[in-house]
Amino acid sequence: MSGFDMNNYVDVEPLEIETGLPDEVCPIMYTDEYKQVMSVARRLMQEGEYSERALQLTSKAIALAPAFYTVWNYRYSIVEHLAKESGDVEGYMNKEMDWLDEVTLGNPKNYQIWSYRQALLKIHPAPSVKRELPILQIMIDDDTKNYHVWSYRKWCILFFQDFTNELTYADSLIQRDVYNNSAWTHRMFVMKHTNPSKHEVREEIEYTKKKIEIVPQNVSSWEYLRGLYEVFLDCEYDEETIKFAEKFTDDILKLDITVDKEVSALPNIESSYALEFLADVFAKIPSPENTNNAKKAYTALSLKYDPIRSALWNHKMGQLA
Amino acid sequence: MDSKLKKEKHWKFLKRHLNLLPSSHQKQDPNRLALVFYSILGLSALEYDKIDGYKVHLPWIRRRYQKMKIPESKEYISGFVGSPLVDIPGLNTFSLSNTLFGLIVLITLKDYDFFTTILDHDSISRFVSSCQTINGSFKSSLDPVTGLPSPVDSDDLRFCYIAVAILYLTGCRTMDDFEKFIDVKNLLKYIKEQECTVGGYGKFDEPHSGYTSCALATLSLLNCTEFITNEFKEKTLCWLLQRQVSNEGCMILQDDKNATYDETDNGGFQGRENKFADTCYCFWCLNSLSILTPDWKGLCDTDLVNSYLLDQTQNTIIGGFSKTDEDDPDIYHTYLGIAALKLIDGTLDGPLCMPISSLQEFLNNSG
Repeated sequence: MSGFDMNNYVDVEPLEIETGLPDEVCPIMYTDEYKQVMSVARRLMQEGEYSERALQLTSKAIALAPAFYTVWNYRYSIVEHLAKESGDVEGYMNKEMDWLDEVTLGNPKNYQIWSYRQALLKIHPAPSVKRELPILQIMIDDDTKNYHVWSYRKWCILFFQDFTNELTYADSLIQRDVYNNSAWTHRMFVMKHTNPSKHEVREEIEYTKKKIEIVPQNVSSWEYLRGLYEVFLDCEYDEETIKFAEKFTDDILKLDITVDKEVSALPNIESSYALEFLADVFAKIPSPENTNNAKKAYTALSLKYDPIRSALWNHKMGQLA
Repeated sequence: MDSKLKKEKHWKFLKRHLNLLPSSHQKQDPNRLALVFYSILGLSALEYDKIDGYKVHLPWIRRRYQKMKIPESKEYISGFVGSPLVDIPGLNTFSLSNTLFGLIVLITLKDYDFFTTILDHDSISRFVSSCQTINGSFKSSLDPVTGLPSPVDSDDLRFCYIAVAILYLTGCRTMDDFEKFIDVKNLLKYIKEQECTVGGYGKFDEPHSGYTSCALATLSLLNCTEFITNEFKEKTLCWLLQRQVSNEGCMILQDDKNATYDETDNGGFQGRENKFADTCYCFWCLNSLSILTPDWKGLCDTDLVNSYLLDQTQNTIIGGFSKTDEDDPDIYHTYLGIAALKLIDGTLDGPLCMPISSLQEFLNNSG
């Protein structure tokens, strides 16, 4: 850390960590640096010193033990105090965000950084979504399914109420990896918050179908397709979509399928999710023909296309009218 | 299963984590009670016969429990501090998670005396209550100065679960008991808001089996799983069962295409769609399923979960379980792996994630 010098704290009486007692459980062999930094940080926290040197020390303590939650609280208080004292709250907060960016890049797996970031934005006098996007971009590039980063992105979008780039953004991630479930659920999050027109929902359905055509055996895209119908279209599945799903199941519902069917007599199909989708659609619209088709689909899933879940398919069959 | 489970190796692995640790563990120092919890509970679940030897540490663990006055009030709050590092005289540094870990470790080591003579029910419940936020959720700690829920912590389902589990262990049973300390209605509203479109629970509509387990365990401890609609229950059940990774039928079509599909994960559970299977998600998913339906073992293939854990993520040389078949074992995945196996064989209480025998004995003793 630039400018960090333990000599700046010689006047602080260290508040040492109790260790070495015979009843201590899993004692840790602390390094000298750890003992030094932590015992000074503990004293400063106890005394509530809000100063530049205290701020610097928290950086060091956080680098050594990012899960030390009290230090994050302390740092936040220091920032609040110093920002006010500096007379330039905005400038000061921006400097703190810069520091946080650096920590974030160095510790992608540390999740404390995201809630700290939210806390800063809430007290920042002029927060900006533009300031947040680059770091989010870098972090998602680094780990495209990082749950904390995606959650933070969605929190930001809600905080700034700016949904404009989000479908495009999710699309860029889906283009990169069509299996990225975080990107798919991001689309649903955006759709649910933006009150789309029927036309926009239709476009979204077409979008999803194109992605399914690239890779038919993909749980994320099928779940999304189903979600669109459930959330926006009252589960009214149209003939076109049913035909679409049937494309990936080699018309097996035209066959006679019962539990004693020879597995080898069933053809290979492109997607068990397509078949499950059809089964669930047929199960929803009761008619003798539909119920029969749903039964055949669940039986086929159980026999051949997704046998690990045979108990689930039986369970679903039991619920048919 | 028993012959494949390398019990003695795991004992060794777990015991190592209770001894002197190298400085590489400094990062875990703030939550040292978590390490103690995973190790002691692992030993207990695997019936380690000399576990009583760890009673010599009881005074150290008891000292992590502290009581202090709320600023500008006559009332007290109490809770556990994760380690001496975080123990700063005069500052309130309790954490919900370390409080739950501390309590369960004391129960496991049968320190019932702590619960009758030392534990202050009112103040510990007041601490839990102070962590609740206006949206109904919980934060894991308080601002050391103001005593309000920490502004820099996240609030989420994990801490909802931990808050309710602490209250359960300190004696709350009925809705009235819980409502004395927390706003249950608001908590239930928050949990409902975490329901995802496709089933399961998670933040902002992306379901996650860890959060799902926390949500369901919370409802189970509050004795109000009936709060979930049948439709959502069914959806969540399907969502959870779909998390068991398979290499049969059409699933194998993902091979070579899906970068996070591995056919050797067969039988293991994943935390989210299109992710690798992982030891800890075997527990989170199975625990969720067991809360949703008494029939859970008939609905998923638990033999395959056993094989996944024992053949893929169990380390048969140094003991312990790893996250996936490509990692080194760690203490967290070791305990969660053991917990999943024990949940399947019926000796572990899922919602509290501890052996049923220890829990029963404690409950009988606490009258």
